[in-house]
Amino acid sequence: MAQMLFDIAVLLSDGVKYTLGIFVVTIIGSMPLGLLLTFLRMNKSRVSRGVTGFFVYIMRGTPLLLQLYFIYYGLPFIPGMKNVIVLDRLPAAMLAFVLNYSAYFCEIFRGGMLSIDPGQYEAARVLGFSKKQTLLQIILPQMLRVSLPSIANEAITLVKDTALVTVIGVTEILYFAKATVNRQANFTAYAVAALFYLFFNYLMTKLFDYLERKYDF
Amino acid sequence: MKMLEVRNLKKSFGDVQVLDGVSFSVERGEAVAVIGPSGGGKSTMLRCMIGLERADGGDILIEGEPLMENGVYVPDRRMRKVSAKMGMVFQAFNLFPHMTVLDNLTAAPIAVRGMTKKDALEQARERLHEVGLSEKAGVYPRALSGGQKQRVAIARALMMQPDMLLFDEPTSSLDPQLTAEVLAVMKKLVAKRMTMIVVTHEMGFAREAADKVLFMCDREIVEQGTTSEVFDHPKDPRIRDFISSIL
Repeated sequence: MAQMLFDIAVLLSDGVKYTLGIFVVTIIGSMPLGLLLTFLRMNKSRVSRGVTGFFVYIMRGTPLLLQLYFIYYGLPFIPGMKNVIVLDRLPAAMLAFVLNYSAYFCEIFRGGMLSIDPGQYEAARVLGFSKKQTLLQIILPQMLRVSLPSIANEAITLVKDTALVTVIGVTEILYFAKATVNRQANFTAYAVAALFYLFFNYLMTKLFDYLERKYDF
Repeated sequence: MKMLEVRNLKKSFGDVQVLDGVSFSVERGEAVAVIGPSGGGKSTMLRCMIGLERADGGDILIEGEPLMENGVYVPDRRMRKVSAKMGMVFQAFNLFPHMTVLDNLTAAPIAVRGMTKKDALEQARERLHEVGLSEKAGVYPRALSGGQKQRVAIARALMMQPDMLLFDEPTSSLDPQLTAEVLAVMKKLVAKRMTMIVVTHEMGFAREAADKVLFMCDREIVEQGTTSEVFDHPKDPRIRDFISSIL
């Protein structure tokens, strides 16, 4: 039994690098993009607010699964795009995830910004901080602290959402689990896959617990 | 030279006029108390003087340099430079919650004035000692009482070595005991001839510590003069009404 579980784990571990790769690229890409969207969405310009609001609406209002299909299969069908945008499976998956998650991070960060007392900006101003210094030294650290529980939530959801990319044939954990189940005619591989996700999310939970304690002011 | 000169200051929020032709001046080393009923424009006047609100008309001169002339503020860069001569203490303290007390004091001198960390720390410890909070250097603002927070805020404002300090109801959110410890720190500053403008409801402080009192009511300065002129021989009946209403 132990030997069998071990064999399955070895089989699935080929998928780990894709699962992790999508996770890391999505976090690294979508958080800064989300922050940029937050600024655009809170901008004085109505055009800026309108365009980002629409982007967020589309990204949150349609299934991520559909966005994956659209970016991988759909983009080449746009007239004139046939030879311009043809993405491989993995980059297509990463692009869809970064765009989708950036919309959620945009709203999380916006909530964080709204929670900051206007007195913080005033204190910074009368002390002579420039706008950039105010943002970097006063506002962002407080905003990120407020947003931390929601960021943890997104990170945990993201670990599980990576399983979606199996539908466009990216060979991540679930892809191998499905193949193994089909070959062995036995569901054990799914259980092993579940253990992988649980293990990653255990690490996530611990990491964010640590960050919340560290930045508890 | 006058430390501050305000001429014919006007300000409206939408259709509501809050300042209608306010004029006064402050000499170097003078402590000025601004008193009067709520809604009389005291805080707004103070906030216009340091650029947190934009007045609509009049002149503001800081040490002879214009912050606003004929209702037009100087460009933002110039404005920052001129208003850097002033420090401000808020009713809500507005300490930076993510920084320790010491970092609250050193952040601006390091970032804005380019002071070395070592010099900033040394100076911060001195300022904390002056306000009696040396032992709180390493704690976060959350762990302080209101009175301690306000003393830290005063120390933080002093770190920028302002020529003049503006206080916007510094004790209005404190109980009497904490008010007393903050007022004690402010009285020390008065004794050192720090130029101060204090919007306050503490009549005792205004009477004892101020060189000059401005009484603001109904969008304007109704009376200004020495404490005895304003408190003991008020010309305008509104002052008598106000003082009797709070005693």
